[in-house]
Amino acid sequence: MIKFLLKGLIRDKSRSRLPFLVVTIGVALTVLVHAYIVGFMGDIIEINARFSTGHMKVMTRAYEQEMNQVPNDLALTETDSLLSLLSKQFPSAEWSPRIRFGGLIDVPDENGETRSQGPAMGLGIDLINPGSAEAKRLNLEKSAVRGKLPSEYGEILLSENFSLKLGVNPGDKVTLISSTMDGSMAFYNFIVSGTVAFGLESLDRGMIIADISDIRTALNMEDAAGEITGFFKNGFYDNDEAIAEADRFNATFSDNSDDFSPLMVSLSSQGSLGTYVNMVELWTLMISSIFIFAMSLVLWNAGILGGLRRYGEVGIRLAIGEEKGHVYRTMIYESLMIGFAGSVAGTLFGLFFAYLIQKYGINISGMMQGSAIMLPTDIRAKIQPVDFYIGFIPGLFSTVIGTMLAGIGIYKRQTAKLFKELEA
Amino acid sequence: MKIAIKLAYRNLIGAGLRTWLNVIVLSFSFVVIIWMRGIINGWNRQAKDDMTAWEIGGGQYWHEKYDPFDPFTLSESHAPVPEELIPIINRGEMEPYLISQGTLYPRGRMQTIIVKGINPKQDIFLLPSQKLDTLITDAIPAVTGSIMARNLNITRGDRMMLQWRDAGGTFDATDIVITEIFSANVPNVDQGQIYISLENLQKMMNLPGEATIITYRDGHSPGLTELDGWNHKTKQELTSSVDELIKVKSVGTSVMYVILLLLAMLGIFDTQVLSIFRRQKEIGTYIALGYTRRQVVGLFTVEGTMNAVLAAIVGAFYGIPFLALQAKTGWTMPMDTSDFGMAIAQTLYPAYSAGLVIMTVIVIMFTTMIVSYWPSRRIARMNPTEALRGKIQ
Amino acid sequence: MKRILLIITTLLFTVFVSSQNADDILKKVESNISSDNRIFESTMIINGARSSRTITSKSYVVGDKQSFTEYLSPAREKGTKMLKLENQLWIYSPSTDRIIQIAGHMLRQSVMGSDLSYEDMMDDRKLTDIYSSKVTGNDNIEGRETWILELTAKVTDVAYQTRKMWIDTERYVPLREELFAKSGQMLKRTTMSEVENINGRWFPTKIVYKDLMKQGGGTEFKITQVQFNQKIPDHIFTKASLKQ
Repeated sequence: MIKFLLKGLIRDKSRSRLPFLVVTIGVALTVLVHAYIVGFMGDIIEINARFSTGHMKVMTRAYEQEMNQVPNDLALTETDSLLSLLSKQFPSAEWSPRIRFGGLIDVPDENGETRSQGPAMGLGIDLINPGSAEAKRLNLEKSAVRGKLPSEYGEILLSENFSLKLGVNPGDKVTLISSTMDGSMAFYNFIVSGTVAFGLESLDRGMIIADISDIRTALNMEDAAGEITGFFKNGFYDNDEAIAEADRFNATFSDNSDDFSPLMVSLSSQGSLGTYVNMVELWTLMISSIFIFAMSLVLWNAGILGGLRRYGEVGIRLAIGEEKGHVYRTMIYESLMIGFAGSVAGTLFGLFFAYLIQKYGINISGMMQGSAIMLPTDIRAKIQPVDFYIGFIPGLFSTVIGTMLAGIGIYKRQTAKLFKELEA
Repeated sequence: MKIAIKLAYRNLIGAGLRTWLNVIVLSFSFVVIIWMRGIINGWNRQAKDDMTAWEIGGGQYWHEKYDPFDPFTLSESHAPVPEELIPIINRGEMEPYLISQGTLYPRGRMQTIIVKGINPKQDIFLLPSQKLDTLITDAIPAVTGSIMARNLNITRGDRMMLQWRDAGGTFDATDIVITEIFSANVPNVDQGQIYISLENLQKMMNLPGEATIITYRDGHSPGLTELDGWNHKTKQELTSSVDELIKVKSVGTSVMYVILLLLAMLGIFDTQVLSIFRRQKEIGTYIALGYTRRQVVGLFTVEGTMNAVLAAIVGAFYGIPFLALQAKTGWTMPMDTSDFGMAIAQTLYPAYSAGLVIMTVIVIMFTTMIVSYWPSRRIARMNPTEALRGKIQ
Repeated sequence: MKRILLIITTLLFTVFVSSQNADDILKKVESNISSDNRIFESTMIINGARSSRTITSKSYVVGDKQSFTEYLSPAREKGTKMLKLENQLWIYSPSTDRIIQIAGHMLRQSVMGSDLSYEDMMDDRKLTDIYSSKVTGNDNIEGRETWILELTAKVTDVAYQTRKMWIDTERYVPLREELFAKSGQMLKRTTMSEVENINGRWFPTKIVYKDLMKQGGGTEFKITQVQFNQKIPDHIFTKASLKQ
């Protein structure tokens, strides 16, 4: 019978086309809006995660205490073994070492004397290794303004504003002056490979980015790193999981009597992000609920309309002797099929558009000239596992409920009046 | 027209549940859009009010070397308060403060901080500066914000050592006692800083009569745009970051309005298509009675648009009490926002303006009208005799 | 009345004499320690909170105003050179082949991670020019009799408002020094020992610096070899010599 109904639906486009379209559009909108809200509300979280907190982060206990002062003298040591331990025992995330450091960038003139100098905030990341996702994570490729990303050791990226302030161009030689892990003054030459602009004032003022192995050499931090950041492999921050992983790590590997033993913290336990995470979850829930509810009403209505649309057909079927219960059941089966097909198609469309917005973002930088605070220049959607089924709630259930309600009318129709109705 | 409205109304009410489902969804659009924009407006206002009350007053004069992003400039960014401002300061319409760097040693740890010296008797800022007048013989009274207090793990009454270098570079140190911990929604006045009395800081730094920033009371601009060695920062400049944040949030949420409207329109469109499909005889009759096709299209358009009118009424029915309640009690986030990275209060009070409501109503009405008109155009192509016979075209 | 006047005069005289004494002592110390020129090799052991490091260097000093230091080990620091002329300081780093002037807040950084800052090294004004001093007592340090001198800044642009010095009464060598903030908070302590007689001068060859605001076990500075009044060619104290 299912086959028969399916054939009917496919062959008689008038039965299926509009309801299917409505369900598809409705479900697509639901999925899209959910992914969009999560992305829109969570943008600050993701930006913070990528540039600063990671989804999880391992540091020494002492470093964690004074994190905002980037105390590299308290950095993690023997990071290679720690890294392999993390990737073996905590495989849900990708782990990469980072070194944050402060310092000066000094630009020489032709005689090697200082021509210009400026304070810099540095970040050493796993940049050159082709298997590393760090460059992508920081969106370096797309943030590039001039030149290219470092492809060889000894190359450095400067923020565009900083490079203009110092008067340097890609290809120029600059010297980093900083302090080593032991507190001694450190000097290291770099070739400027290119410049980047993140659109975040706090980063664009004096950000420099280089490969971590250069920074390790420069700061005498062989096999050491200020922090090891972890990012969930599925790309999204999951607060509960991050907290669980941190607890699991700390229970085994962290010794609270040793200031230099490693400590894992989740994104939400760094700075003020915890409250923001909570707020985002709440807002997302609220707004999505309103949308799903509204969508359910619309699809319910669509179900009713679908039933009404076939008023005449039902009349004929009853007139030629089909049982009311049978008509009612087949209509519900059909609505199930349409609801399901629409939900599948809608979810696919919704995910597709959400993916586009996730990948390319809605650029609002034109409106954001001269931003003074840490704001993203693109609004991005964020697809979560829930988006794969969230559309089915209104798509399937509401459509079926609508049909069920509309179908009650079938039982009210009197066979005697059928022909009169059909005549009209 | 009157008949058209009457007819449309009857038809809609007669359709029962179908109409009400559409109307409810559409009424959501009204309420949610007005509410969300109200929250954003309220946030905008509250953030600026908080900044005014805690940080920037009506505007500020910054020492020309002062750069809030570069603490190393602090050792040079101070100068004697300009002569012409002194009478205004004495009247209490302006307050100078001095900023310097220091190192705090709470519980044996070391923390580089910003020390701000402020007049304890000032009333331009909400800062509990009067607590800086607390009499302590062997230490300097200091106040700090709740974020700072939490980061340093200190409470009121705690004593710790503050070390600094005066203008000549000489090391100095003293104990401070935290006499008050305030909670502000403006992280800029809280994170990484403590407040002591201006007099104390000037003495400590060996900079009598000097200041880094001079703030005037909101609405009391001294009108001096040019002051030698000082940069005038208007309130508008100082709150531009709020404007930007609000702009992003507005753009971001308007996508949601569009989707919400699309949703509601989907229902109305579907209904309109069905109406025209099912009510051909009726359409034929209208034309037979002498209606022009345009008039019939108008009739159906009015009927569809009537959804928005009903939605406005239904929305008003539950929306006005809801929105009013929100404006009065605010929307309290069920969590502690005191350590937020931006100026955001625990409770946001949405602010609705007449313009906002009227704009929302116009936009929704207009959209509904277009969506109602769109399927009705088919009517104009109908053959009236066929329609009368109920033949599907 | 006469008696009172007498007492006051005596008191004043005593104070005058003791302050005179203190200045004299300081001058003697200075003339003992500083010479027209000297060449020395030294070892610096920095006891950090996590590990210890040893750094060796060779220095050429003429008077108070000129000094040139070349680091010899460890490998990382080898070839790093530091030139101080008057109140300017340059560092040459061989790995970058750059000469960088250290100025402003960079002067507040520690030298090679030790408990000493560049600024501590840079202040070459005579103690008697910037501090007024008085003898406040006597003490015995490891069997040596000492005067305790208290120095108070006469000028405003000094890092340490007061200092306390323990001077060997016989050899005019400081054996201990404490540096204080304006408030009286002790910031740094220096202990000098292993006083040796070199070319007729008494010279402490081991100096331990401790920055009390810093974790770790302090910095031990040992002079392994010192020669006074050698002929040091002038070209050493030029920026060109940094690159050689």
